[in-house]
Amino acid sequence: VENKADVWQGTLALMVLKTLQAMGPLHGYGIARRIEQISGDLLNVNYGTLYPALLKLEQEGYIDCEWGVSDNNRKAKYYKLTRAGRKQLAKEAREWQQATDILARFLTEPEKTS
Amino acid sequence: MRRFRAWLVRLGGLFRKERSDADLAVELESHLQMHIEDNVRAGMTPEAARRDALMRLRGVEQTKEGYRDRRGLPWLDTLLQDLRFALRMLAAKPGFATVAILTLALGIGATTAVFSVVDRVLFRSLPYPHDEKLVSFGVKAPFEGIEFMLAPEYAVLRSQSTLFESMTSLTPGGADCDITEQNPIRLSCALVQSTFLSTFGIRPIVGRDFVREDDRPNAPRVALLSYGLWKSRFAADPNVTGKTMSLDGKQVLIIGVLPAEFEMPNLGPADMLLPQALDESALDRNNPRVVLRAFARLKPSVTVEQARAGLEPWFQDSLRFVPPQFRAEVSLRVRSLRDRQIEDSRVGAWVLLGAVIAVLLLACTNVANLLVVRAVSRQRELAVRAALGASRARLARQTLTESLLLALLGGIAGCGLAYLLLRVFISIAPEGIMRLRQASLDLRVLGFGLAVSLASGVLFAVAPALSEPTPESLTGKSTGSAGRGLVRQVLVAGQIAGSVILLAGAGLLLRSLWRIQSVPLGLETQHVVTAQISLAEHRYPDTPKQLAFFNEVETRLNRIPGVTQLALSDTLPPSGGMQATFFASIEVPGRPHPSQGTGGMVGWRMVTPNYFPVLGIQIVRGRGFTEEDRAPTENPIILSEALADKMFPQENPIGKSLRFSAFDRQGPWRTIVGVAANVKNNGLIAAADPEFYIPWKNDPETYVRRGYATFRTPLSPAAVVPWTRTEIIGLDPTVPVEFATMEGRVSKLTQRPRFDAILLSLFAGIAVVLAALGIYGVVSFFVSQRTQEIGVRMALGATPRSILRMVLLNAARWTVGGALLGLLGAWFSARLLQSLLFEVHAHDPLLLALALVILLTVGFFAAWVPARRAARVDPMVALRYE
Repeated sequence: VENKADVWQGTLALMVLKTLQAMGPLHGYGIARRIEQISGDLLNVNYGTLYPALLKLEQEGYIDCEWGVSDNNRKAKYYKLTRAGRKQLAKEAREWQQATDILARFLTEPEKTS
Repeated sequence: MRRFRAWLVRLGGLFRKERSDADLAVELESHLQMHIEDNVRAGMTPEAARRDALMRLRGVEQTKEGYRDRRGLPWLDTLLQDLRFALRMLAAKPGFATVAILTLALGIGATTAVFSVVDRVLFRSLPYPHDEKLVSFGVKAPFEGIEFMLAPEYAVLRSQSTLFESMTSLTPGGADCDITEQNPIRLSCALVQSTFLSTFGIRPIVGRDFVREDDRPNAPRVALLSYGLWKSRFAADPNVTGKTMSLDGKQVLIIGVLPAEFEMPNLGPADMLLPQALDESALDRNNPRVVLRAFARLKPSVTVEQARAGLEPWFQDSLRFVPPQFRAEVSLRVRSLRDRQIEDSRVGAWVLLGAVIAVLLLACTNVANLLVVRAVSRQRELAVRAALGASRARLARQTLTESLLLALLGGIAGCGLAYLLLRVFISIAPEGIMRLRQASLDLRVLGFGLAVSLASGVLFAVAPALSEPTPESLTGKSTGSAGRGLVRQVLVAGQIAGSVILLAGAGLLLRSLWRIQSVPLGLETQHVVTAQISLAEHRYPDTPKQLAFFNEVETRLNRIPGVTQLALSDTLPPSGGMQATFFASIEVPGRPHPSQGTGGMVGWRMVTPNYFPVLGIQIVRGRGFTEEDRAPTENPIILSEALADKMFPQENPIGKSLRFSAFDRQGPWRTIVGVAANVKNNGLIAAADPEFYIPWKNDPETYVRRGYATFRTPLSPAAVVPWTRTEIIGLDPTVPVEFATMEGRVSKLTQRPRFDAILLSLFAGIAVVLAALGIYGVVSFFVSQRTQEIGVRMALGATPRSILRMVLLNAARWTVGGALLGLLGAWFSARLLQSLLFEVHAHDPLLLALALVILLTVGFFAAWVPARRAARVDPMVALRYE
């Protein structure tokens, strides 16, 4: 119905990390909304897959969580970046940058030469 | 690393489910509420807001499911579930579980125990680095079973050969040597070339290896101690090198200690290694006097075949020096060290392994049958689970888990059983089964046992997995069981076939054993005691001293009450080891001396006159020896019947003369005074060689360091032996004497075939029991499945007799089929046994028939019991069945 792209496999974790870096501790719903906002509502986050993804990051030690109270006074789980998470984010961002650079060159080069 | 950490956390996640579930519920609930509130703020109605929030989450339960999969390790979770369930299923039917586990334990235990024995023989590498490059080489001749090298040829080859990285040799038989200081003991010493240890890739654990200088004939005498001797006599003293000991009355310097796991390549005993000290300058190709066993390490690129081809020129050249009679009968032999070592054990080991694997397959078949039967009775349960959404894979995994669990439990029980069986094997095994004493349940063997268990688990899991639950199974009515019935019947038919093969094989070995034990020996064994006496060279260096000792033994033992008759001889039948010459060396006046061929071997013994009466050997012609024959001037000879027939067919040999002449050496002319009955002299199985006897004379030409005093006694050996021993010790306490009864010596020769026969019979017995169980199980199942049908038939007027016939006929079809198949298998596999058999034809029709009858009888009774039950079915009960 809505013509929004689903989040690509594997990039959700990177987006979560980046969001937590930018926003500080945040609950799951907040993370999802933030990702959608940043994408200019072009991305459609599947909330159902967000939670297993958060769990995976937590198991890998990139994020940490603790119970807190939300703006509207609800008990909510807040996620925050760990040091390992920061490092991982930097690394993944660099790799992603490289990958997109290469792809960009790939896709633009032939037009210049032709 | 991160992945591992995540894995650990997930492993932990298996155990904190409830709390984590509650946490997730709270988290999702607050997520939904926030979303709904946002939606409402955006203008939706509360209902629409809630619906949208739920939709975006794509279902709370699905999310929880995904979360759970990520939290724990789903496959491990399922496995644990399966295991728990499998255990519960086993516990629910303890009878089934016990039978299945015991059956498997039997199969796995027997297989593991036998594997631990044959592993040493067939598979494990020899205790030398790169043992596949080690070869034994030399000349094979009719008078010697193992290849040998003549010392001068060895020296020639050593200077030529480019095939070998290194070569070494040892002196066959080794040498007795005595430590002659305080606590004198007799040891076995091996005489080896200085390259011995380096060729085999062994380093002394203390001290140094031999060096070339030690090989010089007059070098200072040095010795390497075996680990055992080092520990027992020198208390494992690390500073033992540099000490001297008195060996055969001469001082010998200890230069090192061998590793504990060291063994001689000819598997002979060795308490000590001494250098051969061969005087190479004195070697003469025309007059070779020293015989060696030669070994070599091949260069990495050289194969055994290439080495054989490469040695061929030397062999052809060396034939020039071989006496012409022998030329046609000697050949070159190069073979791997392993082949040399396991020569006799190979066939027996493969037969045992084959038999035991057959037993294992039978056990697996039985368990598979049990599982198939159970799977049918569980069809309804499986169908329910399938209907509730269990995938086929999940159901198959469940079955597999149950089978593997069963196999594993059986395997554990089997390893225990294997331990016990191995003790039994070792206790009933004869001497000389290669490396049996070293056989143990080590990690490798246990690994084999485990692999066998798992393989069998997979094997019999396949059978029930063949059936797929169908919706009709929900009704509980048996459907389409005909096809699976076929699988079961084929399995049992296979079992019967295997049992027939094993039975036939065991029958052959037993019959062969019986033949061996009833072989006419040509001598009387009852009430005969033998004493083997070996004199140390350093104490009895020359003939007069040796003869004086033995004569004194004769006099003293004759005085003992209870010794009725006593004889001395240099060797004794029926085992081999007597002195021998070749037929062509016997010269008869007036006959041309054969120059071609050896004519076969002829054995001989040196005996005192009483030898014939003591052993009960008949003198069929002429006379035996008398005391006068022992005078140095007399040269009588007694031939065995076989030799007399061979030399003087249709003639009376008494009074004729002959002499031995070979290699330009001639003995005195001897007069034939008698012909003795044939005696087994080459072991029980091999054909007897012709032989002759010469008197044990007081002649300086004789040389007797080793001899037997054999006597007849009406008393029990246990009573006479101590008196005899006291007499000999009174003469010289350092001389070791070994006593044996003649019966004991003979039965020793049957130990090996008895061991083989007992083991194979044991396996055949197990196989028959398993087959009987299999038949019983299948027929019982057939009956229980058809109870209703039988009830209907009986209600319609079938007699119990006809029901009995119906069931039995059904069983008979595949029993007979399996038996015929087994007969065929037995026919082909018997060929493998042929080399183990003595005077029994591998295709003995009587034995095959007997195996068949035994199995059919057992099969009939196994089917009879459930068939009777079928015949007694009450139609009313049967019709209400289920």
